[in-house]
Amino acid sequence: MANGGGAPAPTASTLRRSVTTATATATSAGLAFAAIDYLGVVSVLAYAPGATAALAILIGGLMVVLVAGIFAELNGLYPTAAGIRLYLGRAVGNRTAMSVTFTYMATVVLVIAADAFLIGAAIRHVLHEPAVLAYLWIAVLLGIALAANLRGIRMAGWVQTFVTYTVLTGTAVLSVVAIFHHGRAFHQPFDIFGKGAFSGIQAIAFALFLYAAFEWVTTTAEEARTPRVITRALFIAPFLIWLVSTLFALALAHLVPFPVLHHSAYPQLLMGKAALGTIGELWMLALTVLTALNTFNGGFLVASRFIYAAARENTLPRQFAKLNLNAVPWLAVCVLAGVSAVVAALVFATGQWLLLVAVGAAIESAIYAIGSVCLLVLRRRDTRERPFRLIAARPLATFGAVLFTIMFLATGLSDPKNPSHLSVVPLGVIVVLGAVSIGYVLLCVPRLQAAAAARAATSRPKRRPQRTAESGGGGPTSTGPVRTPPSPPSGPMAGT
Amino acid sequence: MADWDELAEALADYTVSCNENERLRKMQRDWTRVLHFECSDSGVRFTMDVERGEILATPVGHVGTPDIVVTTHSETFCDMFWGDLNPVQKYLRGEITVQGSQEDVMRLDAISAVIWPDA
Repeated sequence: MANGGGAPAPTASTLRRSVTTATATATSAGLAFAAIDYLGVVSVLAYAPGATAALAILIGGLMVVLVAGIFAELNGLYPTAAGIRLYLGRAVGNRTAMSVTFTYMATVVLVIAADAFLIGAAIRHVLHEPAVLAYLWIAVLLGIALAANLRGIRMAGWVQTFVTYTVLTGTAVLSVVAIFHHGRAFHQPFDIFGKGAFSGIQAIAFALFLYAAFEWVTTTAEEARTPRVITRALFIAPFLIWLVSTLFALALAHLVPFPVLHHSAYPQLLMGKAALGTIGELWMLALTVLTALNTFNGGFLVASRFIYAAARENTLPRQFAKLNLNAVPWLAVCVLAGVSAVVAALVFATGQWLLLVAVGAAIESAIYAIGSVCLLVLRRRDTRERPFRLIAARPLATFGAVLFTIMFLATGLSDPKNPSHLSVVPLGVIVVLGAVSIGYVLLCVPRLQAAAAARAATSRPKRRPQRTAESGGGGPTSTGPVRTPPSPPSGPMAGT
Repeated sequence: MADWDELAEALADYTVSCNENERLRKMQRDWTRVLHFECSDSGVRFTMDVERGEILATPVGHVGTPDIVVTTHSETFCDMFWGDLNPVQKYLRGEITVQGSQEDVMRLDAISAVIWPDA
């Protein structure tokens, strides 16, 4: 047994189907590069105007290299879909892990809702329909995603890879075309703190958001041919995102005046139109719709399976673990679609789409800070060999914990609609989400687990027969009772 | 530590429970997989051959190329196949490790969820 608290060493079998580096990289980049990233670039431009946005994106990318190193080591230690939950649990205890994971999963809902809104708004814009019809498109998109998920329809790995590389290449190519158009010159590209020191930090913090969710590729660790596949993807995907985001930011800064961008939910369409007219606009619309495939496929899958697993371990009501005849947790998928529709409606009604960017950016920064703390703790507690070891892990992880906490505050206190002001609204949203998660974990989870234990005790006696020396054959371990003690009523919370 | 006899007895019960559950068979109608299991304490290995949701055989040793590989202690396997423990709880604690697609991992858990909903 390994010294990691009972984790058996995985075997080195070759699976019939396994994820390659190209697929894992596409998964990582595809999860990160959603339609909301186009707005993320606008948020960077709000704090770092013109070409200075490119420098902010580069600095953000360098920070992400540190994040990649941290998650590569943690993933090597716990190569499982339950990764973040597991290493958080091992490092800071299960209750904290559960609270953080519930809050983290809320970002998936935010991204699904944001993408539904943004894609709906983009389609409405291109079709020259009244603004109110945007919500109809949102409902249609979420309805299609819901139906596909309930029927158990999944994108094949190669389709996901093709979609991701098409979106990245298409955005990059049109951005290059735009940059070579006659437009505004790039002045003082290195003056990132030109609008003030804190603005520069906020620009970098929003740049960090462009890479957000790239680390979710660790949830495919069990499918990877070798652990190195995920490590490679964690380092290659940010490079691709950096390249595409930089080109897109430069293209926007070059061709579209910022006041126009700032009030638009579809900056990519404006850039496309400015570069190639209607063809460019349709080009970017097609790419925007394609991003939905990744978001809705990956987002629904990750979040609904998380809800299913939580219900199965009795930390959510067990109704969420009910499966339909396609082996899909139908209630989890329906609730996910319903909540996304409500959030998208709120965004539609208030026009606060940049608030979603700020909240998402802040939560991701917090996760990176927590990941850094996990690495620090697990370097001490779990001394097993890892397939990847971060060089100078202790100083770098300490640096990461401080740095990403600053980034969390920089985005949590931002007001992208009015960059010259600070706002506590994003932080307030996160505090509310966090408080709800903590309250739920402290108050509701123990009751659910007690109820589950009582249900199991009364309705389901142990089935495994007792073995004795007489009946157990010659096995050296078959003497005496072999039954393991029943699971503690508090399940995985018991160790906290 | 459970020996192969105990595992075989548990597997036989599990096979009957799965194959006789109509809802499960319908749910898993498109699920044809080779599962490899390995006991991390005793080193015992065995295979489960599933075709369209029906468990056809559970031979000792690893047979064929796997779609899923599950590794845990022999006692955990026994309890899991008897339906006396919830595999998700063990999985989330890192006590069961799995290699395979997330969808297949969920399908495997779905078997326990359907035949022993109160486990």
